[in-house]
Amino acid sequence: MSALSIEGRHIGLPLRETKWMREFYTKLAKQFPLGELTEQRDNLAFISIEQPQLRPLLMHLRDKEGFSHLVLLTAVDWIEEGHFQLTYLLSNRTNGTDIGLRLMISRDDALMESIHDIWPTAATYQRELREMFGIDFPDSPGVYEDFILEGWNNIPPYRRDFDTLEFSTENFAQRPGRETKDPAQHMKQQLYPDGA
Amino acid sequence: MSIRDLLSPFTAWKYLLKNPVTIPDPLNDRPGSARYRGFHKNDNEKCIGCGTCEAICQNGAIDMLPVKGTATQEGDSGLRPRIDYGRCCWCALCVDVCMTGSLTMSNEYKWVESDPDAFRFTPGVDEKFWDNAELGYQRPEDHRLVEAKRVTMEEMDADTRINSFAEIVNGYSIEQAKLEADRCVACGICIATCPTHMAIPDYIDAVREGNYERGLKLLYETNPFSNVCGRVCTRKCESACASRHEGEPIAIRWLKRHIIDQVPFEKYREIIGEPDAPTGKKVAIIGAGPAGMTAAFDLVRMGHEVVVYEAKAAAGGMTRYGIPEYRLPYDALDRDIELIVSLGVKVHYNTRIGSDIAMAQLEQDFDAVLLAIGLQEGRQTRIPKSEHEKVYRAVDLLDKITSEEAFELPHCAVVIGGGNVAMDIARSLARMQKQQYDQVDVVVTAMEDQQHFMADADEIKEALEEGIIIRDNCGPQGCEIDESGHLIGLKTWKVLSILDENNRFAPTYDDSDETIHACDTVIEAIGQFSDTSLLGEELTEKLEWNRGRIDIDSNGRTSESWLWSAGDCVSGPDVVHAVADGHRVASSINSYISSNESSIDKQS
Amino acid sequence: MAYQPDRSQYPQPGADGKLDIDLTSGKYLKLWQGPQHPGITGNMAVELTVCGDEVVEGKVHVGYLHRGFEKLMERRTFIQCFPIVCRICVPEPDFNEYCYAAAVEELAGIEIPEQARWIRALILEMGRINSFLMYCGGQAGSYGMGVISQWTTYVRDLMLDRFEELTGARIYHMFILPGGVRDTLPEGFAQRMEETLREIEITMKDVYETMYCNAVFKKRTVGLGVIDPELLDSYGVTGPNARAAGVAKDVRKDQPYLIYPELDFEPILGQDSDIYTRADLRRQDILQSVDLVRQILAKMPKEGPVMSKLPNVLHWKIPRGETYIRGECSRGEYGYYLVTDGSGFPRRVNVRGPSYTHAMSLLERMIVNINIADVAGLMVSLHTYPPEIER
Repeated sequence: MSALSIEGRHIGLPLRETKWMREFYTKLAKQFPLGELTEQRDNLAFISIEQPQLRPLLMHLRDKEGFSHLVLLTAVDWIEEGHFQLTYLLSNRTNGTDIGLRLMISRDDALMESIHDIWPTAATYQRELREMFGIDFPDSPGVYEDFILEGWNNIPPYRRDFDTLEFSTENFAQRPGRETKDPAQHMKQQLYPDGA
Repeated sequence: MSIRDLLSPFTAWKYLLKNPVTIPDPLNDRPGSARYRGFHKNDNEKCIGCGTCEAICQNGAIDMLPVKGTATQEGDSGLRPRIDYGRCCWCALCVDVCMTGSLTMSNEYKWVESDPDAFRFTPGVDEKFWDNAELGYQRPEDHRLVEAKRVTMEEMDADTRINSFAEIVNGYSIEQAKLEADRCVACGICIATCPTHMAIPDYIDAVREGNYERGLKLLYETNPFSNVCGRVCTRKCESACASRHEGEPIAIRWLKRHIIDQVPFEKYREIIGEPDAPTGKKVAIIGAGPAGMTAAFDLVRMGHEVVVYEAKAAAGGMTRYGIPEYRLPYDALDRDIELIVSLGVKVHYNTRIGSDIAMAQLEQDFDAVLLAIGLQEGRQTRIPKSEHEKVYRAVDLLDKITSEEAFELPHCAVVIGGGNVAMDIARSLARMQKQQYDQVDVVVTAMEDQQHFMADADEIKEALEEGIIIRDNCGPQGCEIDESGHLIGLKTWKVLSILDENNRFAPTYDDSDETIHACDTVIEAIGQFSDTSLLGEELTEKLEWNRGRIDIDSNGRTSESWLWSAGDCVSGPDVVHAVADGHRVASSINSYISSNESSIDKQS
Repeated sequence: MAYQPDRSQYPQPGADGKLDIDLTSGKYLKLWQGPQHPGITGNMAVELTVCGDEVVEGKVHVGYLHRGFEKLMERRTFIQCFPIVCRICVPEPDFNEYCYAAAVEELAGIEIPEQARWIRALILEMGRINSFLMYCGGQAGSYGMGVISQWTTYVRDLMLDRFEELTGARIYHMFILPGGVRDTLPEGFAQRMEETLREIEITMKDVYETMYCNAVFKKRTVGLGVIDPELLDSYGVTGPNARAAGVAKDVRKDQPYLIYPELDFEPILGQDSDIYTRADLRRQDILQSVDLVRQILAKMPKEGPVMSKLPNVLHWKIPRGETYIRGECSRGEYGYYLVTDGSGFPRRVNVRGPSYTHAMSLLERMIVNINIADVAGLMVSLHTYPPEIER
């Protein structure tokens, strides 16, 4: 894979296509309604799915396809589009491939079924997601306990509408004596103050 | 479990007999390694205060502040980075991105102070004990976070271009322009150097974003001659560009042209907007060159009625009658003019003030008058026998070429002068010779050595490629004429020096090193002057003068309250300078005629 | 006859499966281990409920060093993220630099020069050695053998000297940046590295004699803290913790990255999955990494560029996309999940540190029914770095 370039300078991405991923996707799509497939590299693909498919698909991938390792479970806030993306990244060690399941849920009523019974370790991820993104996973063990934050009463901090700069400006004092000048503006003041 | 497991741990006792591995005096015996990223150093002379270090600092540890003893000047903001070691993480991205290579790091890592504010300091200005440290992190060779090389501008090759007056430069494609725009670090130190202070980083950003309409709007805020300046600007900005220090300057001119190329001309009016409501005030402008037309553009948008008087058949001044078509095609210039005219500027062509209409008449009929007549007359060398009919002034010939006026094309021409005008006429003649005689025979002689020619390096390079011969260090001494009165050559002596110790023009020659440059035509391209006879005797008397030019104040106003002057005739030859002049006088004229002052003047 | 403890005094599970612990009964005591604990790099607390000297319940508490890196990166440009990622995991920062750089390169379509790939692998192996050395000291310390940590600290310091001359810094190297690495190896580096490697081997021999061949250490660690191989996948266990259970989980083999296919090594495996096996496996891993560093220095190209051309980093935008990059750090699978949205800033960065699963759900499960005195040893044997749990 090499990038498109002019005079050795990078200008874009080539198209990727991997055979086994397509075949696997086609096979899987016969059993489950699947959304868009993104072939990221020859051993990593992302597949969009809908909520009803999550549990059967995870079970199928874990038990039948060898994707037995839950690498991570995390969320992405697409605030402009009004939803959270949940990413369940699964790994198959025997053939060294990964599949990421993308699942969009509404930002307004962020709720998802827990998968701690499939992978016990998911409970930690779900606890963190509830705390940091405000995504609820009812029945997940300890999901309502504080994980990293203690006594947090602001909006969940990993949501995009939580402004870290504003938070720090409100809560912390700035060291006095800092000032800076923009080179162009400073030169204007010094060299042609009337703008002429 | 074995007996070994019981005894083996006792081997640790052997360490009793070993020397300690600790360094007894780590404060002195443990210098940082050669690459250590320790405390910052800054070469104050090299630094240009572009603030790129501040821009890349993810900690917000760097402030740009003026320092004592460093003046703001072209290409140097006069600011220097002050680093707050309360925030710095020594990632050295500031060193990696530094546009001049002035910022480096020492290998010193110990610094003790009782005052915490001491750890906020300006390297290279506040003296520190590590300032002379030899070791420490410097940006490795080839490790560049910003591309140093310019995207090559594709040009027509010499063999093709010599056959016609077609434009040489192709212009960037969108991909090329984006790559070139991407090199800009948007420091903005070029803005001060541009005579008309164009918003250069902003319009380059528009190229990066592909938002050409925004780009065009930005161009027109400061320069209604963007078609012209996108091609033939003297681009002083590029000589102030931060990128030039460790690479090539950004191709600012070509990026400007790229914006122009991308926006369809039909959209210009819409992007630029409609003029303000009419004010009922009238302004007359003499000369439809860049200065006059820029002023017309500003004034008409302010709602004033503007009438331009142009002696020639078309507008553009020197950009039309001086600059050859292969550098500035007429249709590009026409677009700039057409837009200004479309805003409601009235232009009277072939109307010569002084003979067709008197200055006094203009003073009478208008609230203000702007004189922007340019430098239309070529200077003469006045060497012996240079009054011969086959000795021309370059501007006159260039004028004839544009006006398609017939003249006898020399078979063999010698040009005197090393500036852009000399190159323009030499290259224009070369093209015509190629077309008519199928061979080029043009020699350029100049007093300077080639390194110090006034002409752009590109012009010289391209002229040479086109088969023009350049003979430098040649001082013209007279024309050679045969018995039948034909011009047969130019005699020159080798120049030893041009200026005297007071930097005055006082050339010395080696008269033993004489050359006769055989030719049938000599062309003088040693400068231009302004013909101010249109003013009439009375006004010439009344006005104040300064070394042969009309004296103006900083706003371009003459000693007569109703008369302004702008452009080459008062500022010397430069398109973008003329544009800047045009803006300046327009603003001054506007404040004058918008106040009651002008009507009071009229009544008195 | 083996000793059979009387368990009648211990809590019994109630109807809901949870232990019936009545704290007012006087039979139980709450004990806090941490947040400061010498065996753990960083801060993490284990809230223990003990009955006698046996732990009946353990809860892991983190939150002492949450710095919010993942969020901070959302308002930093791609190049500005580079200096901060290494700070996510203090004792082994290089995997952050590698995973972040590789993820950015993949999404931006940048290929790095060959020499840079070797130098990256070199740095990662050096980092693994350092991390394991630190672990050795901690594991020994948790069994009262303070002197071991002095020895390993010494050789780790020598390795830090090598880091310093190669990268210009000792702890946060900030050397692997998107596009390649900053510089080539300095003059004479291989030779000085060889001296350091020899010193490490000598020290590890001494450590072997005093720690691994130590009756007390063996007595206290063999058979304790067993991770059932069945649990590996359900608890996301990777790295030495998994390999000690006989499962050859090693990213360098499973999904080879950089130049690992060109190196000659086999993942080291254990059988018994107890504290001793894990400790011994890590000791062997040090020696293996020492060998790998030698292989890299011998095989790597000595010339050529180390940095690819980047777009101007000040306004570098990356098209919408997502990827996951992993590497085999000293504790297992270290990974970066990077999502870009076409802007100049990452949309989301998620750091998968192996301690996230090891120290949370797995430790809470394993800690039950062991002796208070063994808790520290068990905790350290999972090789936990709390900073990577909460980032």
